[in-house]
Amino acid sequence: MPVVNERSERMKKFKNKGKDAAALRRQRVEVNIELRKAKKDEQILKRRSISFSLMDESLSLGEEKRNEIIQLSLEEIVEAVNGSNTELQLQATQATRRMLSRQKDPPINQIIELGIIPRLVEFLTHADNAPLQFEAAWALTNIASGTSDHTKAVVEGGAIPAFISLLSSPHMHISEQSVWALGNIAGDGPLYRDALINCNVIPPLLALVSPVTPVGFLRNITWTLSNLCRNKNPYPPLDAVKKVLPVLTCLMEHEDKDIISDSCWAVSYLTDGSNDRIQIVVDTGILPRLVELMASPELIVMTPALRAIGNVVTGTDEQTQAAIDAGVLAVLPALLRHAKPTIQKEAAWTLSNIAAGPCQQIQQLITCGLLPPLVELLDKGDFKAQKEAVWAVANFTTGGTVEQVVELVHSGVLKPLLNLLLAKDSKTILVILDTISNLFLAAEKLGETESLCLLVEELDGLEKIEALQTHDNNMVYRAALNIIEKYFSGEENPDLQPGTGQDGLYDFSVEKQDFNF
Amino acid sequence: MELSDANLQTLTEYLKKTLDPDPAIRRPAEKFLESVEGSQNYPLLLLTLLEKSQENVIKVCASVTFKNYIKRNWRIVEDEPNKICEPDRIAIKANIVPLMLSSPEQIQKQLSDAISIIGREDFPQKWPDLLTEMVNRFQSGDFHVINGVLRTAHSLFKRYRHEFKSNELWTEIKLVLDAFALPLTNLFKATIELCSTHANDASALKVLFSSLILIAKLFYSLNFQDLPEFFEDNMETWMTNFHSLLTLDNKLLQTDDEEEAGLLELLKSQICDNAALYAQKYDEEFQPYLPRFVTAIWNLLVTTGQEVKYDLLVSNAIQFLASVCERPHYKHLFEDQNTLTSICEKVIVPNMEFRVADEEAFEDNSEEYIRRDLEGSDIDTRRRAACDLVRGLCKFFEGPVTGIFSGYVNSMLQEYAKNPSVNWKHKDAAIYLVTSLASKAQTQKHGITQANELVNLTEFFVNHIQPDLKSASVNEFPVLKADGIKYIMIFRNQVPKEQLLVSIPLLISHLQAESIVVHTYAAHALERLFTMRGTNNTTLITAAEMAPFVEVLLTNLFKALTLPGSSENEYVMKAIMRSFSLLQESIIPYIPSVITQLTQKLLAVSKNPSKPHFNHYMFESICLSIRITCKANPDAVGSFEEALFLVFTEILQNDVQEFIPYVFQVMSLLLEMHKNEIPSSYMALFPHLLQPVLWERTGNIPPLVRLLQAYLERGANTIASAAADKIPGLLGVFQKLIASKANDHQGFYLLNSIIEHMPPESVDQYRKQIFILLFQRLQNSKTTKFIKSFLVFINLYCIKYGALALQEIFDSIQPKMFGMVLEKIIIPEIQKVSGQVEKKICAVGITKILTECPPMMDTEYTKLWTPLLQALIGLFELPEDDTIPDEEHFIDIEDTPGYQTAFSQLAFAGKKEHDPVGQMVNNPRIHLAQSLHKLSTACPGRVPSMLSTSLNAEALQYLQGYLQAASVTLL
Repeated sequence: MPVVNERSERMKKFKNKGKDAAALRRQRVEVNIELRKAKKDEQILKRRSISFSLMDESLSLGEEKRNEIIQLSLEEIVEAVNGSNTELQLQATQATRRMLSRQKDPPINQIIELGIIPRLVEFLTHADNAPLQFEAAWALTNIASGTSDHTKAVVEGGAIPAFISLLSSPHMHISEQSVWALGNIAGDGPLYRDALINCNVIPPLLALVSPVTPVGFLRNITWTLSNLCRNKNPYPPLDAVKKVLPVLTCLMEHEDKDIISDSCWAVSYLTDGSNDRIQIVVDTGILPRLVELMASPELIVMTPALRAIGNVVTGTDEQTQAAIDAGVLAVLPALLRHAKPTIQKEAAWTLSNIAAGPCQQIQQLITCGLLPPLVELLDKGDFKAQKEAVWAVANFTTGGTVEQVVELVHSGVLKPLLNLLLAKDSKTILVILDTISNLFLAAEKLGETESLCLLVEELDGLEKIEALQTHDNNMVYRAALNIIEKYFSGEENPDLQPGTGQDGLYDFSVEKQDFNF
Repeated sequence: MELSDANLQTLTEYLKKTLDPDPAIRRPAEKFLESVEGSQNYPLLLLTLLEKSQENVIKVCASVTFKNYIKRNWRIVEDEPNKICEPDRIAIKANIVPLMLSSPEQIQKQLSDAISIIGREDFPQKWPDLLTEMVNRFQSGDFHVINGVLRTAHSLFKRYRHEFKSNELWTEIKLVLDAFALPLTNLFKATIELCSTHANDASALKVLFSSLILIAKLFYSLNFQDLPEFFEDNMETWMTNFHSLLTLDNKLLQTDDEEEAGLLELLKSQICDNAALYAQKYDEEFQPYLPRFVTAIWNLLVTTGQEVKYDLLVSNAIQFLASVCERPHYKHLFEDQNTLTSICEKVIVPNMEFRVADEEAFEDNSEEYIRRDLEGSDIDTRRRAACDLVRGLCKFFEGPVTGIFSGYVNSMLQEYAKNPSVNWKHKDAAIYLVTSLASKAQTQKHGITQANELVNLTEFFVNHIQPDLKSASVNEFPVLKADGIKYIMIFRNQVPKEQLLVSIPLLISHLQAESIVVHTYAAHALERLFTMRGTNNTTLITAAEMAPFVEVLLTNLFKALTLPGSSENEYVMKAIMRSFSLLQESIIPYIPSVITQLTQKLLAVSKNPSKPHFNHYMFESICLSIRITCKANPDAVGSFEEALFLVFTEILQNDVQEFIPYVFQVMSLLLEMHKNEIPSSYMALFPHLLQPVLWERTGNIPPLVRLLQAYLERGANTIASAAADKIPGLLGVFQKLIASKANDHQGFYLLNSIIEHMPPESVDQYRKQIFILLFQRLQNSKTTKFIKSFLVFINLYCIKYGALALQEIFDSIQPKMFGMVLEKIIIPEIQKVSGQVEKKICAVGITKILTECPPMMDTEYTKLWTPLLQALIGLFELPEDDTIPDEEHFIDIEDTPGYQTAFSQLAFAGKKEHDPVGQMVNNPRIHLAQSLHKLSTACPGRVPSMLSTSLNAEALQYLQGYLQAASVTLL
């Protein structure tokens, strides 16, 4: 009987309470395809350095006079750059940089087509001509800030080693511009990130961090470091991570919120991976600081800190416990009630992974008062957050003890949960139905199946589950049917059925077997 | 098959024959087509015919045949042969789209269906150019073609609304979005422009609006899984246009039909759905547009007429507003006093008005009217939507909304007062408004549970409700009468008791109203009032207070069943049941007439039982008549048997399945009323009760078990002497029940009665088998419910046959079995036993094992002695379960537990709890102390030493308490 087998398959899944935490804990990416726009609250991958005003420019150029700006045609630029007159080289490079720095539609493609990139890279090595080095670095920075093809043009022009050696330039503004350029290259993806790391970018970069480094410079360094930590497939090499982490933990203590934000982003990338990578971060002892930052009033700080901790609790039970010990449960209620839907959602996702842990952790979740905000979120949260809250409840009912599940029901979870059976999302509906099955399993142990049946009916749940038996999605309809069949009708045990005798009545008969209970 | 004219000709002839009404011609033709459908070119021949045949009927027939062929054969099932050869598949896919688009609508629909079936299997991988092919047609400018494409796209994409998120699905959607979203958007814009250029061309507009509806549906499918980047970037275009379409009207698109929704309504409904989708799932991104939609939708509501064709649109639109106004961050959209006033005045009040359609339903389709009005199956109605909006608004604006409506209520009541016979609908609306305003939470069981404190319900009741009900004619203004009665019903917990008492005679007289709705509501209101609780868990309205009305109440209730349309009125029957239960012995003088009327009714409805609730309450009423009468005069049972058995026999003989479980329950009740040996009339029926066919119906099981238990209680000796050959059959029933997880407890009920009542020698030969069966269940599929019942049974057995007999029979089945059961089942599970009587049985049984079973003292079982004692003490010290009160008056039939599909337990046929231990042991704790004392006297020194070595301190302390209470000491 296929139906019975299917059911027992499902039961096995349910009874496998919390044993397979890896399956319950959900990593950040379930689906690689995105229909959505790239997320707005993500950190910026590449940045262009824009001249907002002449004033700005003259400041950055130091002694240079503002009315010396000269307009050159593209042909003139090519000619000058390729020529040997250093004065003209500087003028042409500056003109190029200026075009690339204008606010609207920088002509990156046209500049690349001029074929002057190798020449600009060469200028980077002109240690005797700091203004030329700087202008070239700036221009290349802005080219690298474009699409992947743009970045590729810069890298293939041989810019990586040149920029790395410029990190140690005696001129701070040149060193800073190089940091920026390297950040853009690293932000392109794992390939160039690792190319940089293989060229040994990290030691000179870290050497720039010191107590006297100006804040603006430090911001650039932190951002570039974060791009060196970013991206998967593959992850950045472990030894590089280990070199960067101690500096990141220091930067996280800085008072500047941009520096904190970018260092948190870096940590969030490092934790977005396998458990051994999470462990390296946990070992730095940084979790308490991250939890503290989760409570920051600054959105740009709170967002990456929450994300990093959210990633940590996708790890092992011990790693999750480290986050709990760092106080994450005390901070989550406020985040679950945050006005911004994405924060609600991240917080609920984090909670769902903590709820996927062993019952001791679930108990801590109860003790720290997470159930009321969870129920609130389920009731009134943004839809994205409601979906995560449903997962949290599902995991809770899978791994929790019977007493804990009772506590969950008493906190009023059933009504909003059953209401969400009307959600416009099949997966959410299926997870809710699985959760209801879990609740029934707990009720069975308490001999309270009938009261749960009544409660579900009173809250208009039965009506909704019955309606789902005609849902277009097969799995949804079968899950609904299973609940109805299992808890709202009877079931037979075929082995012990009597046959019928000659008188037409049941035959009372039995074969003996060995018993061992 | 060749693609030849000859084959086309043959196929045409066979297709024609499949349309023949004569099966002798039709069937062979169908058979023939089936036999050739595996041949190559068959589908292509069909496609040729549906395109080129001279006869339209053949074209259509070929298209239907083609679609069915695709439906049966296109899918390639693993390990099964491919039923359509590859060249045919390729040819079909190459030709079907243009063919579909150039076909007339009738054929286009069939081909469009076929495309979506193929698409489900082949799209996108195996049909890569389908999308481009479709999109290219958008430029054709021919809206017949475009609508064909849109319809096909809709059938391909609508599954995005219910499938799970997956890489595969989202890859497909992304592909579709890349190819389709921009052209669709351009088409949308172009179509809207064409709508304005053709604003005066009715037939063009119809085609264009059909396109817009399909486009809006596609929008819903494509946006369902997540908010695609493209649509987020183009939200401005879509939402601005949706918004303006919502506000658009064009006389040419208005239909004359009052019932059927027109294109304009369908489009606006779909746009409401789209807006609701965005509001629910993409609130963050949609926020900037939402206020505009709120305004547009309420303007839409203000300008939409009362016709039925607008109902779905209006209720969708109101529900949209209701869901938005509850959210804190949209509160400000409604805050303004003018806004609130205009919503109340122009949206809520008009939609609460009693319409012509409602009036028709009230008179001609009262069952439907009652269902909607009373039982809340009014989800899609305008009134319900308006009511929900009132509740939504009251969340934040209770004061202002109440204020605004009070003004309206007063002016509507004044209108009514000026000329009641013309303006009665104004009063209806006023009452409805007060009701929806005042009720904040409601349950079937208690009526309104939370009311708006700003509304004076009692004042309104006295001034505006009672006068209507007091009027001389019960048939005047029936709608207002029904409103008034409903008002009493739902506000019964808010209106003071003295007002309810004043209302009771008014309700009773309205049982005579001709209007079905009015007398039904009157019966229902009485029934609800009679179930209200007063202090001390008694009824609020007492039998004494009802005394003056008993006769008229009973007379009018039974008379109501003779009114046209109410011969099986479940509300009236339920009121009869509830009246009996409330009035108790004051109904006795009327029983002879009552029981005659009930049996006549029973006889009549058993010909064709159609109203399950009515039937249920009728049997409940019969049970109540029996119980109330026999309580005062036990001998009266005979007269009931005389009145009922004739009808019962007929029901059993005709196998009226719906009634059989009821008949068994009433028979049980009657049999239990007998004080002496079982009457022979019952014994004659006994063998029939063991027929498997009866036990195969789950609904029969509980009442049959109950009835067999009554047989065993009253007639165990008769069975043993006169029907001994039926004992295996009886045990067979037990075996059948024990095999089922759902029914095993019923099997134990039966077994317990057998063990308790049958003479031991009559079941001797079966005892071992019984235990083997139970052990098998225990081993193979143990459940808590089974264990609980099992524990009660073995202890009952121990009480009846002795502890030694229990040990001996266990060990004779398998060596050391007794120890295993003690260790693995009794000791760890005994605390699960619930119920006072069950616990008592277990306590007395275990006491016997501890004190009257020598092997417990001098074999290897001895090591289990103290753990068993400890488990027993645990059982004693657990908190007792609440027992079920004897007074079952309040039990609502719908609330009784157990979700059996076919079995309806009669609450008033219930039996008292039976205690087989009875007076033999009053206090099981004392009994344990005394038994231990006796044991210790027989073997001095052993008991104290066993206690001191391994009983835990807490248990020992309890035990000492028992010994003290029994004034005994252990030697």
